[in-house]
Amino acid sequence: MLQQLRWSAGRVVSALITLLGVSILIFAAVRLMPGSYEDIILGPLASPEERAALAAAYGLDRPLVLQYFSWIGQIFSGDLGTSFVTQTPVAVELGARIPVTALLTVVALVITVAVGIPLGVWTGVRSGAKQGGAIGRVVSGLGISVPEFVLGSVVVFVFSRLALGIQVGGFSQVGAGFGPTVQALLLPAIVLSVFCVAASARTTRDAVMNVLVEPHIAAAVARGETPWHIVRHHVMRNAGIPILTLLATITAYLLGGAVIVETIFNIPGLGSFMVTGLDRRDFAVVQASVLFAATVFIVVSLVLDLITSALDPRVAVTGKAGS
Amino acid sequence: MLKLPRKRARVASGAALALGLACVLSSCAAPSGTGAGEQEEAAPGFLAVADDALDGQGALTVQLDYDTSEADGLDPATAQTARSWSIMGLVYETLVTADENFEITPELATSWEQPDDTTYVFTIDTTATFSNGRALTVDDVVGSLQRQVDSMSVWSGQMGPVESIEATGDDQVTVRLSSPYAPFLAALANTPAAILPMQEVEDGSLDLTTTMLGTGPYTVDAHRQDESWTFSANPNWRGGDDLAVQTLELQIVDQETTRQAALREGSAGLANFGSIDALTQLADAGDVRVVNQTQSDFYYVNVNSQVEGSPLQDQDVRFAINTAIDRQAIADIVFAGESAPTGVTPSNLPGACAVDALPSEQASLDDARQVIEDSGAAGTTLDMIVYTSEPVMGQIAQLVQQQLAEIGVTVNIEQFDTATYNARVFTAQPGDFDLSLGWFAGYVDPSMVTKWWNPEQAGFNVGFTGVHEDLNELITAGAEATDPDERATVLADLCATADEYSEIVPLVHRPSIIGYDSAELSPTIQSNEGYGDIFRDITAYRLPAASE
Repeated sequence: MLQQLRWSAGRVVSALITLLGVSILIFAAVRLMPGSYEDIILGPLASPEERAALAAAYGLDRPLVLQYFSWIGQIFSGDLGTSFVTQTPVAVELGARIPVTALLTVVALVITVAVGIPLGVWTGVRSGAKQGGAIGRVVSGLGISVPEFVLGSVVVFVFSRLALGIQVGGFSQVGAGFGPTVQALLLPAIVLSVFCVAASARTTRDAVMNVLVEPHIAAAVARGETPWHIVRHHVMRNAGIPILTLLATITAYLLGGAVIVETIFNIPGLGSFMVTGLDRRDFAVVQASVLFAATVFIVVSLVLDLITSALDPRVAVTGKAGS
Repeated sequence: MLKLPRKRARVASGAALALGLACVLSSCAAPSGTGAGEQEEAAPGFLAVADDALDGQGALTVQLDYDTSEADGLDPATAQTARSWSIMGLVYETLVTADENFEITPELATSWEQPDDTTYVFTIDTTATFSNGRALTVDDVVGSLQRQVDSMSVWSGQMGPVESIEATGDDQVTVRLSSPYAPFLAALANTPAAILPMQEVEDGSLDLTTTMLGTGPYTVDAHRQDESWTFSANPNWRGGDDLAVQTLELQIVDQETTRQAALREGSAGLANFGSIDALTQLADAGDVRVVNQTQSDFYYVNVNSQVEGSPLQDQDVRFAINTAIDRQAIADIVFAGESAPTGVTPSNLPGACAVDALPSEQASLDDARQVIEDSGAAGTTLDMIVYTSEPVMGQIAQLVQQQLAEIGVTVNIEQFDTATYNARVFTAQPGDFDLSLGWFAGYVDPSMVTKWWNPEQAGFNVGFTGVHEDLNELITAGAEATDPDERATVLADLCATADEYSEIVPLVHRPSIIGYDSAELSPTIQSNEGYGDIFRDITAYRLPAASE
């Protein structure tokens, strides 16, 4: 128990150090990029004096270390800064966009769980049969290898050209009611979930196949249990940890902003916000967005680690789950 | 100096092949029968004319690209980009405007007189009101113009040598210049010279950087930067309260394919496109009509003469590069014939210089090759930088790369985002590049854009161009000449001189493709546009009654 607590505390400290590292990295990265906010907002026609005045107005002429500690101080006081471009608190801007990305994530996850896991179980159970193995390989191979920007562009083109009745090119008025919102998010969520379905199907299939060769499965078969009962009570329980781990990772990844899909479908979410902020060298926006995404990822990973160690105490001792 | 008046021979097949491959990969294709020169006009000077028989009123959704910036602030006086001019022009009006022939016509000034070359007397429409209900006064006009002149903004340089602005009657404003300045009215015709509610500005009740309040046909209901605008018809507009488009939803949609999809499926009534591919890709899209509006805007290549030790410090080398660049091939291959070459003065403006007469068009490729060999620049590798937000830049760069290879110059293309590009081209001193691609707004008077060839006036090009007194004198003379014949001669000399210095080399016009759903909207669209104003004729649009 003490060892487990010590291990959990170590994971929390490790997560905090990682977050600190991320904050330094992103702060330095946006400032090391060529071009600055003045280059974008003032354009090429501005004089050096105008650029200098604007940089001074936003404190961009101060030493980097001072700027960093000023930003970190703001973060600890709950202030994520103010967008240079919109002059709006970044927290307000994030508040408007995070629900959009979260909703997109939920819809994509629902599709992933509804399609990917049953497909993985089916192909895993039928791994010995030609049909199941082939379908599993084709689906996961295609889904993992087709880039989102290719699939997204094809979907936009096909659905708008064939007028299939699903909104593709319209501005996504997310929050305009359940119907319009789902309609706006359906295609992007499908595009987003293709990779996730493939990955979860493959992981589920491998996990199921690993469990199926365990002696207790042979014992269950010998006891005359039905295949469905064996899958539900013996296979899924034991294959659950890797599947849950993958789903948690996917969730954290999607919540961090589905940049490409949001851009292609013009969804005003976190990913497109981050890209726009980067293009305009809106430092406060980029720093806060990346830090948020990193925090989500690290916190989800941490929670998953803690749950896994609680379910399987060997994790805290050996650092990996037992089989 | 390389000046050999020989017919140039061009072997563009290799370049065409390479670009053809690029086009296959990027889906560009030659539109059939929709070339800018082949388009049928609905009326002289118009690609589309609104059907007056339609009497509906309602909402219109427009999707626009991000362009260089969605709108750079809310104060029209400091607006630098065409997108800002278009959006702010919905709310603000100017004293005069430009028609389909680039002639200056009345707007808030009902008429004007010019008693001599340097004096303009405007009669103001004092029946006009701001959207808060207050009547326009001559003080608003005087204050607005004075504010612009004093602002030291980019546009204040285009206003010319303004000496005084004063109210000379209840409805009369007189502007005096210190010397003749031909494009003065043209400068007044663009949004940065908008007439502002100066009474409210001066009493502090209005901050122009956060609130838009004008005499124009629309008022702002909502705005989310880089996402959307919602405008409503201004009931106090002097043109009447019967506008067909009562509500305008303007959406900023970065992806070209997404805007196409919106037009196809009917979620947008009008959209703009930067790529000529839209002409073919939307050709079979039901009621969607697509037109190619000729802009005075044009692409150019900067040839950096200011880096110590660079072969580009040699004017002959720069001219050889200029000679090797085939503008017509760029128009034909990259833009599938939907664009046209231009010199320093935009070729679609009245009085512009002839491109064929430029020294670089008269010189031959063999001579250019010889100059490169003699100068020791053969085998030189030049870095050409472009920005990624306008994909056609990469295609132009590829073709220029092919063209320069013909004279033994290797070009290494580098693509960056806009901030990096601006930092390397405009902020770095000297500019951190050899060649770079960009585009200029061409405006409505041929002498206006020529100022950008004078680094003492432009400022932004100090890092890559030198100061040339003869060219600067021609630029000044071009702006001062009011006699058409004299002006044409000066501008021809100006174009030739800038062409010989070869530091900013004009290429071809920048097309503007506009698509609209003809079942939902009957727009008026001019064949030519100088200020990139996609909403220039929005008050003339008509909607079918069903959209009420």
